Amino acid sequence: MADQETTDAGIRERIKAVIIESLGLEGMTPEMIEDDAPLFGDGLGLDSVDALELMVVLEKDFGVQIDNQEIDPEAFASVASLERFIRELQGRD
Amino acid sequence: MKRVVVTGLGAVSGFGWGVEALRAGLGSGETAVRAPRRLAVDGHRTGLASEVPEDSESARFVPDTALSRADRYALFAAREAIGRAGLCEPSPIPRSRMGVFFGGCTAGMAEAEEFFARLIGAAAGRPRLRSLMSHQLDGPGNAVARDLGVEGPVETVSSACASGGLAIQAAFESIRRGEVDFAVAGGADVLCQLTYAGFNALRAVDSGPSRPFRRERAGLSLGEGAGAVVLESAESARARGATVLAVVVGAGASCDAHHMTAPQPEGVGAAAAVVAALEESDLDPGAVSLVNAHGTGTPLNDSSEANALRAALGGSREGSVEAPVTSSKGAIGHLLGSAGAIEAVATVLAIADRTLQPTAGGGPADPELGVDVVIGSPRPLPAQGPLVGLSTSFAFGGSNVAVLIGSPDGGESADGGEE
Repeated sequence: MADQETTDAGIRERIKAVIIESLGLEGMTPEMIEDDAPLFGDGLGLDSVDALELMVVLEKDFGVQIDNQEIDPEAFASVASLERFIRELQGRD
Repeated sequence: MKRVVVTGLGAVSGFGWGVEALRAGLGSGETAVRAPRRLAVDGHRTGLASEVPEDSESARFVPDTALSRADRYALFAAREAIGRAGLCEPSPIPRSRMGVFFGGCTAGMAEAEEFFARLIGAAAGRPRLRSLMSHQLDGPGNAVARDLGVEGPVETVSSACASGGLAIQAAFESIRRGEVDFAVAGGADVLCQLTYAGFNALRAVDSGPSRPFRRERAGLSLGEGAGAVVLESAESARARGATVLAVVVGAGASCDAHHMTAPQPEGVGAAAAVVAALEESDLDPGAVSLVNAHGTGTPLNDSSEANALRAALGGSREGSVEAPVTSSKGAIGHLLGSAGAIEAVATVLAIADRTLQPTAGGGPADPELGVDVVIGSPRPLPAQGPLVGLSTSFAFGGSNVAVLIGSPDGGESADGGEE
């Protein structure tokens, strides 16, 4: 099963869309976010509230459970790391 | 004790963004209470409110869309007040000698309501956690403090409708005792379902625009916005060559200890707050030359307040009050926790313009009240000599506050200078 929704690239596109929509980043498109660009600080400029917001939305959209006790902050470093993190969580089911 | 002067004013109201919109609106005698565009008002006894208009100018001054509307109103009013006070960058006043004293009842309540409406599916869109960021009542005051980089005391008062006046009192006292040299005092509140439905449930609203001090008055109209004043020690203002708009000469507070929502009918507590302010200023009651009243337009408030004014300024319940009385609430509605803040701005404007704004609202004044209510057109005040304005705010829970503001040329007793 290699449809658009489950390929690495497909998941990354969905994450980008979720970031833009859920964080209200008006005027941005998925193409403007690079897979390895930092999401926080100097990169996209997200902050800790955005991280929390993103966590809630990712849980809902990808049907995963994120235990905030065991999150590695590196998982939220970029779109690529988030994709690996979600894949890992999905693999647990 | 240090002398405390007013060097800057800022306002956001149903008339628009800025002090000049407020000045023109209040002077016109017209009301900004009308059918709101954002607030849902279905199913209530009234469908009106004084809502702040959105415009591009506001966005230019307050670009951070992550802030709540109350935060943005607060920030606009504070920046305007600081700008008018002529505080340049870098500030000649150390940040540790600056304070922020704010009052309010709602903070980010409108955004929190939207969050929960989305969460339960009653409104479209994702619930955004960030929209809860200003839910705490200290949101607007903290937004102002962050913006100004204040390192002195930052305090938020929330005593219902007395909050704004109490915040001004707190700033006044802080400067007087030498804690800070420069303070932004004010308040911001936003129209939201909780307050709109709450006052509706209390049957405290007029179905039309409120009519303070009128015979046919039937309740209040809600409003939103912010007011801010820059208060400063006289020596700080002098050192940086700031223009003194007015002088805060006294403030007093009291409690009715009577009822959760109703004022004590004789106005005993309200009068005590006015008397306390007069005592602090060393002024005689006859020195008061204008009153910006709480004047909500509810049958209970306006009669209780008139009793209080006659007792405090006229010497007895049967005494007469020579000072003309106005209420800004007929024009801009009741701004709840920020009412005392924007009405202090209106009081300074009346002193500066030597003209008391009329009380918007239809119908003749209530002759039973025994006070001289300014209706129709603005009332000229004496062209010469010191002026003293009294601004009152009375809250649910019986909290009362009175602030006395004098013209720069006086408005103080002979020994009221620096002691």
